[in-house]
Amino acid sequence: MKLLNYIQTILIGIYRLLQGMYITMLNFIRPKVTEQYPENRGKVFPHERMRGALTMPHNEDNQHKCTACSICMMNCPNGTIQVITKQEVDETTGKEKKVLDRYLYDIGSCTFCAICTLSCPQNAIEWSIDFEHAVFTRAKLNLQLNKEGSSLIKKEKITKE
Amino acid sequence: MFDFSIVTAWIDHFLRTYLDEGWALLVEFVLVGLVILTVYAVLALLLIYIERKICAFFQCRIGPNRVGPWGVFQSVADMVKILLKEIIKIDRADPLLFRIASFLVIIASICTFGAIPFDPALHAVNFNMGVFYLLAVSSLGVIGILLAGWSSNNKYTMIGAMRSGAQLISYELSCGLSLMSIVVLAGSMQLSEIVNQQAEMWFIFKGHIPACIAFLIYLIAGHAETNRGPFDLPEAESELTAGYHTEYSGIQFGFFYLAEYLNMFIIAAIASTMFLGGWMPLHIVGWEAFNGVMDMIPPVVWFFGKTFFCVFLALWIRWSFPRLRIDQLLSLEWKVLMPLALINILFMALCVM
Amino acid sequence: MKVIADLAAQLPGATVEQQGNTFLVAVPKEKLHDAASMLRHNSKLQFDYLNDIIGLDNGDTLGVIYVLVATQFSAYTIRLKTETDDRENPEIDTVVDLWDSADLYEREVYDFFGIRFVNNPDMRRLFLRQDWVGYPLRKDYDADPELNPIPHEAEDLDKMEDLPSLEIDLNGARLEKHRQLFEKEDYVVNFGPQHPSTHGALHLRIALEGEIVKKVDPNFGYIHRGIEKMCEADTYPQILHLIDRMDYLSATIHRHGFCLAVEKGLQLETPERAHYIRTIIDELTRIASHLLGWGCMCNDMGAITAFIYGMRDREKIMDIFEQTCGGRLMANYSVIGGVMADIHPDFQKKVRAFVPYMRKMLKEHHILFTGNPIARGRMEGVGYLSKEKAISLGATGPTGRASGWSNDVRKIAPYAAYRHAEFAEMLRTDGLTFDRYVIRLDEIEESLKIIEQLVDNIPGGAYAAKTKAIIKLPEGEFHQRVEGSHGEFDVYINSRGEKYPYRVKFRSPCMTLVNTLKHIAVGTKVADLIMLGGSLDYVIPCIDR
Repeated sequence: MKLLNYIQTILIGIYRLLQGMYITMLNFIRPKVTEQYPENRGKVFPHERMRGALTMPHNEDNQHKCTACSICMMNCPNGTIQVITKQEVDETTGKEKKVLDRYLYDIGSCTFCAICTLSCPQNAIEWSIDFEHAVFTRAKLNLQLNKEGSSLIKKEKITKE
Repeated sequence: MFDFSIVTAWIDHFLRTYLDEGWALLVEFVLVGLVILTVYAVLALLLIYIERKICAFFQCRIGPNRVGPWGVFQSVADMVKILLKEIIKIDRADPLLFRIASFLVIIASICTFGAIPFDPALHAVNFNMGVFYLLAVSSLGVIGILLAGWSSNNKYTMIGAMRSGAQLISYELSCGLSLMSIVVLAGSMQLSEIVNQQAEMWFIFKGHIPACIAFLIYLIAGHAETNRGPFDLPEAESELTAGYHTEYSGIQFGFFYLAEYLNMFIIAAIASTMFLGGWMPLHIVGWEAFNGVMDMIPPVVWFFGKTFFCVFLALWIRWSFPRLRIDQLLSLEWKVLMPLALINILFMALCVM
Repeated sequence: MKVIADLAAQLPGATVEQQGNTFLVAVPKEKLHDAASMLRHNSKLQFDYLNDIIGLDNGDTLGVIYVLVATQFSAYTIRLKTETDDRENPEIDTVVDLWDSADLYEREVYDFFGIRFVNNPDMRRLFLRQDWVGYPLRKDYDADPELNPIPHEAEDLDKMEDLPSLEIDLNGARLEKHRQLFEKEDYVVNFGPQHPSTHGALHLRIALEGEIVKKVDPNFGYIHRGIEKMCEADTYPQILHLIDRMDYLSATIHRHGFCLAVEKGLQLETPERAHYIRTIIDELTRIASHLLGWGCMCNDMGAITAFIYGMRDREKIMDIFEQTCGGRLMANYSVIGGVMADIHPDFQKKVRAFVPYMRKMLKEHHILFTGNPIARGRMEGVGYLSKEKAISLGATGPTGRASGWSNDVRKIAPYAAYRHAEFAEMLRTDGLTFDRYVIRLDEIEESLKIIEQLVDNIPGGAYAAKTKAIIKLPEGEFHQRVEGSHGEFDVYINSRGEKYPYRVKFRSPCMTLVNTLKHIAVGTKVADLIMLGGSLDYVIPCIDR
């Protein structure tokens, strides 16, 4: 009886092992899931909501929506954003006004928490799906988001005033 | 059917026409040694590539695919890299033993490799007690592993080496016993003789159930001999980081690595020689036409086909199962495999009588 | 309820205050041990589960809060408070003799506040180096880098093995003692901080006898970032991104818990739609975490293929996350008042497709590994954790449930949309490694059920409530329990009415799990120790906050 039990457990064990081998063999012939990264570059994109890097969209006249209110800078938990402003005389009204000089973004210390984009009252900044951030020096991680010579989009309201 | 004996005979004749017999033999020995070393290295690279590719396929991956088409030169690139690596000096290690250990392992493996009959003519060492020689030499490797673990001055390597000592010595037994049952069947220990006896029918068929059981035991025990999963306790990546060769680097590590892969091949080669007829084509008594077709395929292809089939089995098992614990490992050997192998020899003897 | 109120009133020198399901009990520090032991050992209702010990710097006094739960009435908690006005040499009696989990908690409080627990035999620092100057979570902590320069040498092992303690015997004599962690002839092996299977930078020092483990001493702090300290200088929305980085495997669940705690404080009505979305995301996270836990455990046992299969299936969830939340590991999705963005139009379709896929794969996983005789042989009969021990150790989550302790917060104190879903709490009774292993796969099955029920019924409406630009919590203490994938995660916020919290404490479920390892690994083999670590499934960044 004991011997029979012994043989039975061995046979069941072998059967279960074979079952496991069947599963691995099943996966052996299944299509593979590996993504071939540099080859599929430009063919497969991350989903559109992915937070790759902070960007500031400009329109065709090289204008952006940032009013340099610095809310993003205050909200950023890591000091990633630096809004540098300058005083500029408005041509229509003749008043001196604070405008954006440089919008500095250090992607090296960004944790992609998206508080900046959520809190921006003008929706001036948004996320791009660009994810290839590797560079050779740390200095290259400091980006300037507004383009050279860009200016604030003139809204209808402002011109009416 | 291409016969390698033409080549070997021609070389022999060529040398003897120009040199004395002694000198000719010496040159032949050196040549044979060089060929064995080259084949050893090339096979190792091939096996590493095969293993990585097959393992990847089992895991729903593609595996190496960057160096060369389908990544075929990946292992060559790895070899170049490992040759360029620094050999790190271990603080307070035993320098002599530390260096010897890796050589011991690889020498044992090469010596075994030399005795394998690849082809009727490609058989470097053909003793009349070949099986005994194989067992004796292949078990020398454990000394290297023990020394490596001991001399590294590291607790992980120490545990790994002790595990490996317990494992290899105990599995050596059922390994030998299962081969013995074939020796009983063949009535000879000479490898060429054993292969020739399988001309009519391979031993795994000829020996009925005892031969099948012996084959199974040999596969399991041999697999354990190679220190590969699920019997990879001496290395136990997730427990002991790399077991006995944790502290090795560069080509010294490469020796362990090569030996590991070649041992896998050697175990598969012995299994195919002893049970599956080695280089002998598949013959069925009475089916002359079929046998004729089978004979068209060169023996080297038969040998490597069978061996790689066994290698594939080993890989399949390795990448399917979790690792055993040390007490399970030993009770599997002493409570299951060894008694089974002993009884099996008895049955085999009865069958032969 | 009344039983608890009566009991609390009987405590020596206690003042009791009730807030919903929570009883705030303040006792003088001399009476603390008596009060605690009364709660632990009384005949009517035993408070057998010490949820957490929270250290607190009240300015002039240093306080300690013991969060106690009776497992018979898990929905109710007693917060036993005590404080000492001696800021130079604060001393409070230990409760190590009452609860096994107090061991590491008290060391943590000592590490951050400098409160020495009298009669605790092991008063080493827990996270910081033993030679650290000052106690960082005190409000008067001097953060001058001159005091604690970046060390150039590894920590002295002798200091790590020397256990200082302050003991007061029955006669009232004070004894400063030093014990040795290991005996002289012990064969001590370091596992970690860099090791393939410590699941992060955990450092275990293990005394071995051959292959058998004699003693385990966990050593934390290799990736300690001081998140609780950082929280005190961050606004509430800013804290959120730190929580994702504690337990990265159940990031969304923990973040959800913090959002709930803040919403509780603000008395903000979160839209139902947000609750549903958060719940589905939480359950997806749980599946992802359990899959990784399963894979890692298989990997720890040497089955690398199973690990890759787990990662492969997890990738499907990561893809759903990326599409809807914008992040993969750090999904970063819940915000105070709701979720960051509405679900992606494809979300429901993808989740619906995922459920049958996962069911099919679960079957394969069961065949591949659960039925494997080698795996069964290794898991069965090893690492027994009794129900009493699990409760005493505070081993919540799947680990506790495998021992028969019904501790699922989703059932005890339902939050978000869990009350709208029907699901069973997975319970097993044996408390062995195999139970802890199989309960994870069962919970995946249950999570799939929850997702199935909720995903088609997501109500319409807004996905987030409007919040003020600057969020200020009213003065008071806010507390929220959620069921993380590794155990119960608690958020404690102490607000003084400013936009920064005064003190934030997170209960790390993983810390008690490592403590559990210390207890159940003794007497097993090295290979078992690794496997037990896998079966407990702890995540180190969760401990090293």
